Amino acid sequence: MYHPSRATAGALAGASMIALLAAGCSAGGGEAPAAAQDAVTQEQIDEALSTPTELTFWTWVPDIDKEIALFEEQYPEIDVTVENVGQGLEHYQKVRTALQSGEGAPDVVQIEYQYLSSFTLTDSLLDLAPYGAADLSGEYVDWAWNQVADGESVWAIPQDTGAMGNLYRKDILDAAGVTEPPATYEEYAEAAKKVKDETGSYISNLASNDPAQVVGLLWQAGVKPFGYDGDKTVTIDVNSPEAKEVLAYWQQLIQDDLVSTDADFNDAYYQGIVSDKYAGWLTAAWAPIFLQGTAADTSGKWAAAPLPQWEEGEQVSGNWGGSSDAVLSSTENPIAAYELAKWINNDPSSTTMFANEQFLFPAAKNVLESPEFTGQEVEFFGGQKVNELFAEISGTVDTEFPWLPFTEYAYSSFNEIVGTAIGEKGDLGAALDAWQEDLVTYAESQGFTVQQ
Amino acid sequence: MMTGTTVTAPTVAGSPVTSAKPRGSRAKRRSTMLTVVLWLLALYFVLPLFWLLIASTKDNADLFSSFGLWFGDRFALGENLASVFSFRDGIFVRWVVNTALYAGVSAVGASLLATAAGYAFAKYQFPGDKLLFSITLGAIMIPLTALALPTYLMFNSFGLTNTAWAIILPSLISPFGVYLMRVYAADAVPDSIIEAARVDGAGELRIFWQVGLRLLGPGIVTVFLFALVATWNNYFLPLIMLNSSSLYPLTVGLAQQQGAAAAGGGAQALFSTVITGSMISVVPLVIAFLFLQRYWQTGLATGGVKE
Repeated sequence: MYHPSRATAGALAGASMIALLAAGCSAGGGEAPAAAQDAVTQEQIDEALSTPTELTFWTWVPDIDKEIALFEEQYPEIDVTVENVGQGLEHYQKVRTALQSGEGAPDVVQIEYQYLSSFTLTDSLLDLAPYGAADLSGEYVDWAWNQVADGESVWAIPQDTGAMGNLYRKDILDAAGVTEPPATYEEYAEAAKKVKDETGSYISNLASNDPAQVVGLLWQAGVKPFGYDGDKTVTIDVNSPEAKEVLAYWQQLIQDDLVSTDADFNDAYYQGIVSDKYAGWLTAAWAPIFLQGTAADTSGKWAAAPLPQWEEGEQVSGNWGGSSDAVLSSTENPIAAYELAKWINNDPSSTTMFANEQFLFPAAKNVLESPEFTGQEVEFFGGQKVNELFAEISGTVDTEFPWLPFTEYAYSSFNEIVGTAIGEKGDLGAALDAWQEDLVTYAESQGFTVQQ
Repeated sequence: MMTGTTVTAPTVAGSPVTSAKPRGSRAKRRSTMLTVVLWLLALYFVLPLFWLLIASTKDNADLFSSFGLWFGDRFALGENLASVFSFRDGIFVRWVVNTALYAGVSAVGASLLATAAGYAFAKYQFPGDKLLFSITLGAIMIPLTALALPTYLMFNSFGLTNTAWAIILPSLISPFGVYLMRVYAADAVPDSIIEAARVDGAGELRIFWQVGLRLLGPGIVTVFLFALVATWNNYFLPLIMLNSSSLYPLTVGLAQQQGAAAAGGGAQALFSTVITGSMISVVPLVIAFLFLQRYWQTGLATGGVKE
């Protein structure tokens, strides 16, 4: 029989070993990319795009062949091969293995924002600024652009985002006498109590296995737990007073049994959504579509609102998920590869298709500001214009949120330490301290200078 | 000569099983305990299959809202099958063909190699035979998964990664098959027949092909099935060796589909598609077992009885 979860875990462990082994064997891997070069001229671009070229693109976006077809129609000389080598960590391990074995690496590759710096650390990404990417900064929401750009350099083109909002079951909240979505976290806690007392449902779930959700909530609160100078210095500050304040709030709700702590994205979780166990989900812009796929039976009972706020009258959000397309520095066709990464995430025909067919929540303003996109009334949410709401929320995401160059480790360590404490309804402040210590030890063992 | 062999063959090949125990006392020794335990075990093994069968008839909504071991509100098997075969222009069919190719070629190759090696160990004495056989026994203890990484690095230096060879070549080696065939050949091919064949002037290779192989039938089928199942279900090796979805076997392909269903941006709710795909992927193995199980049992019994 076939066991995906166990197999995947084993595979990840194994794949990372390969990456290490391959690193040891292949004597340095690819050559370091040429440093800051002169800007590429329009002539060179035109020439590259009219020369027969084969590109490989690794991405897990479903049915992306449609956007690629548009690109190939525009530039018939460019032949793009799309491969899905896995999703998330599995995908990154494959990219690293290919880079280090010096063979078979793609030209363009999908990378989530929080993992970009783990690739710039190894000089694996091509700086896109000389190819014209620097001029694109105004075409994406500010915070998303800050995720891919770093000073003068641009490492990727934003593809999709996950600004966070509050999706809730209007019917359950109404039954509990909560007729307006809670505007502040104080109101949210009061509403949680009413919902639990009146209906028995949890107002939401804080997943014990999902660092990205907690980090998104910290992002909203203005916490800057991570930092990286692009060279050898990292900032680790996951147990700051502000971070502890956020988690202390959730700890209270968890210990009062007003918020559940189930692992998310598994069938028990989906059952919980369908069976009214949860009356809401503090989640991201991609979730409305996701819910429609898994909880079709609850159609029409949902509503969407911005996240509750820490200060009354404020309007701030965080981000959970989303990804970008980067060009690997090992590519032999940098201009064509850049044009591919840019075109599919910039040309309105492609960005509109991403938003309407794959339901990626856009980073490009040409979709976010298009009335056709924001005007859609979603039946699942009782006819609410959910896109419009999330487009507005996306504009309120805190614009600065740097990452560590080892997010993979930070996340798995989070699950072991903080995630476990969430699941056990334990002391989350102490868990943050332990996480901090673990991250600092790891960073120092990897040769980083740590600022705390 | 040939008539002599065919007459002797069935009795010898069948002897480990038929002569094992007198049958008369069996009916009286029926134990209630044992029956209950066996039924429980059967349930334990059949329930997941049953769940898979039921779940493949549900759509996503029913999957999460109805009882797992019975049908949901809608019978969506047809739609699920359609979505399995239309996903990414029917790449599922490609995965089935790949899996059948990898597993088929590997199983045929592995059983031939193991038979030849086992026969040689059993019937010939040559310098170093004990040492080589000990090494083979030792190799049984090393799981394929542990060898996957060194194999990857080796194949990479030959430029064989991301090709079908990367899956087939490592799967041709079956130390357990060699062991099984040695035990089986020692008993199933009597020395006297080999002697007789030699007297009749047959060369060693001819004796192996024309006499040995016929007598070793049940053992070969056993090794074939082992190798078929092992390669069919192999996940780790293709996962690290292959990068092109057009080369994936079912295991890796379905896992990637499952991955696409379980994460953030651009997630698709493909659960029922993945489940139905998994259901289809076990069907050929079930069929192979139903057809070949009597050989399988014979082979297992032989391996268990002899020393």
